[in-house]
Amino acid sequence: MRLRQLTVDSEPWIAVLGGGLVGSAARVGIGYVLPTTPGAFPIATLMVNLIGSLFLGAYLARRERAATVRWSLQFWAIGVLGSFTTFSAFSLDVVHLLEANRPMSALGYVTASVIGGLLLALTGQRLGSSFG
Amino acid sequence: MTLLLATLAGAVGAVCRYLLSGLVQQQTRSDFPLGTLAVNLAGAFLLGLLAGADGLPSAATMAGAGFLGGFTTFSTWMIETIRLGIPPLRGRAVANLALTLLAGVALAAVGYSLTN
Repeated sequence: MRLRQLTVDSEPWIAVLGGGLVGSAARVGIGYVLPTTPGAFPIATLMVNLIGSLFLGAYLARRERAATVRWSLQFWAIGVLGSFTTFSAFSLDVVHLLEANRPMSALGYVTASVIGGLLLALTGQRLGSSFG
Repeated sequence: MTLLLATLAGAVGAVCRYLLSGLVQQQTRSDFPLGTLAVNLAGAFLLGLLAGADGLPSAATMAGAGFLGGFTTFSTWMIETIRLGIPPLRGRAVANLALTLLAGVALAAVGYSLTN
C-alpha cells in the first residue's frame, strides 16, 4: 500500500524530470550553436526565452479547449518550456552587458525579452485558442 | 560530455523548481506568483555567484549553469504576468514584472561581485 502510494505521488515530478530533459537539451543545444561571450549580445538566451513564451501561451490556451493526457501540464509547461526558458541567464546577461559598459544594449535586451516575451505569449494564447 | 552534464543538471533543476515553487506558493497562500519569483531570484543570485567565481572546473561550471537554467524560468514569468492583468496592463502585473526584473538583475550583480 505504501509503495503504491509512493508510486502515485512520484508521477508528477517524473513528468517534470522528463520534460526538463527535453527542454534543457534544447536550451543547451541552442547555446552550443550560438555561443555568447560575456558582454556580447545574448542572442541564444533571447531566442529561447521568446520561443518558449510563445509556445507556453499556445499550450496553455490549447489545454483549456482540448483534453490532455495525465501530467501533460507537468511535462510540457513546467518541464519542457519551463526549463527551455531561463531567468537566471537573462539576469546575468544584463549584468555582463552593464559591466561591458553597454547600457543601451542592456536596455535593448531587456526590452526585447520582456516586451517581446509578453507579446509572443499573448500571440501564442490567440493561436492556441483558435487552432487545434 | 559537458553538454550532457548541463542537460541532466537542467532536468534536476526543473524538478527542484517544481517542488520549491509549489511549496512557496502553497505556504504563502497568495494569488501573486511568489513561487516563481522565489526560484527566479534565488537562481539569479546563485548564477551570479557561479559566474564570478574563478578557477572552478569547467564541468562544475557547466553543471551549475545547466542546473540554474532549468531551475529558473522565463516563460512562466511571462504567462503569470499576463494572468495578473494584461491587457490592459494592471498594477499587479507591473509589480510582478518590475519586482522580478529589478531584483533579479540586482541579485545576479551582487552574487557576481561577491565572488569576482
